[in-house]
Amino acid sequence: MQDPRRTQRYRRHDLIDWFSQEQVSAARVAVIGAGAVGNEVVKNLALLGCGTIDVFDFDVVELHNLTRSVLLRESDAGRNKAEAVAERARDLDPHVTTRAVAGDFWDTLSLARLRDYDCAIAAVDNFEARLRLNQLCLIARVNLVNAGLDSRWASVESFPFAASGEAACYECTLPESAYARVAERYSCGGLRRRAGLERRIPTTVITASVAGALAASMALRLGGEAPRHAQRRLLDTIGGAGTSVGIERREGCPGCGAFARPPRIVRTRNRWSPRRDDQSIAGPDIVEQPVRLSDPLITGYECAACGPLEEAARYVNRRAAEFDDGIATCPQCAAPAVRIEIRDAFTVGELTARFPGGPVPAKFALAEINGDAICIDLEETPAP
Amino acid sequence: MTQSLKLYVRTADQTRRAELDLDGSSTGADIIQAAVDNWALPADTDYTLVNTTTGRALAPGEDLARSVRPGDVLEVQPVLVAG
Repeated sequence: MQDPRRTQRYRRHDLIDWFSQEQVSAARVAVIGAGAVGNEVVKNLALLGCGTIDVFDFDVVELHNLTRSVLLRESDAGRNKAEAVAERARDLDPHVTTRAVAGDFWDTLSLARLRDYDCAIAAVDNFEARLRLNQLCLIARVNLVNAGLDSRWASVESFPFAASGEAACYECTLPESAYARVAERYSCGGLRRRAGLERRIPTTVITASVAGALAASMALRLGGEAPRHAQRRLLDTIGGAGTSVGIERREGCPGCGAFARPPRIVRTRNRWSPRRDDQSIAGPDIVEQPVRLSDPLITGYECAACGPLEEAARYVNRRAAEFDDGIATCPQCAAPAVRIEIRDAFTVGELTARFPGGPVPAKFALAEINGDAICIDLEETPAP
Repeated sequence: MTQSLKLYVRTADQTRRAELDLDGSSTGADIIQAAVDNWALPADTDYTLVNTTTGRALAPGEDLARSVRPGDVLEVQPVLVAG
């Protein structure tokens, strides 16, 4: 039987002819980022009575966040943002299932788990995270809503990957300069720069609330049919002017160009053993099959002056992004002379040799086999 | 012979506006670079181009001669990255 308090709570929504509480209450949304926009998105989804909200963030609350974060308090300083935001959202509406996932979404949100959501909302603060979430949503065929802002403008984009395999993606209109900013964070083809300076873009709760409202509305597809094409809305929060444009798929797009058709996902349960899991990627030629890993790996570590280093065992066959460019300094001669080989392209045979029966330290591997796009999911699925 | 195309370019806040004759080989990236240079737009911001006449976002390398028509209004918009 329906909880009478729940029924009463949403009575006013029921008076709106274009609003379906049933649809909203069934929705499952992943909110990536619990910063200014994430706070507004979660607040809106909770007040609307969204069925399930999972909030992902690795960061902790700092006092300067409080001017833009409706769900945070001074007493939250030092806490994980996702946990603090989810706790306050549960206060707003205990009927909504709101969960926190503390950690980087790249490490905590598997493809299998992503497919449980109706939509993922990018409320992050950098291009790299957006590129990664775009790729995950493209592969999993989960709708993506991307929200961004500065001190004046709010922008929200909708990419209906679930509705249409032909929808444009986040990268279809992304300028080259955005990739250059991502590249600035790395050296040696994959190591993080130690001395990287992050751009700090000032924002206010005004732009965050506008972006958060639009993002929640577009994620829940309020007031209309589910769109089949990508679109972008840009709003001037001072003058009130705005534009709404369609985004078309770009031929040769670095994001979706490889996915003209949805890739088939093959699960390996964190073991590099595709033959056991799927006969379609077995066969005598599979050893030579090229694959591209989601995460570049360190495959070689040797000093140009000293030769092979015993420290190589610490780095080789691990994700390059785990380390910064400090490891390019030789631990023996102290010269910046270490040659570090980093690769994301392998053959199945190479991976089998490097990781015999063990986990490959990557989220997934992409391959084209017999003309089909295949995504080999390399992760365990964590419990929700 | 290269055909020229007359159209309008403006910033999103519409404080800058120009009429231009488009070279037949120009791309969206060329227009954005010219806007940043001529209007001294903040160089630490990334930009994208939309055709407000057709309501369509333009890809960075798109050949404008094939995707815009005389009199179209193109808008240089910031790519917003904060969240």
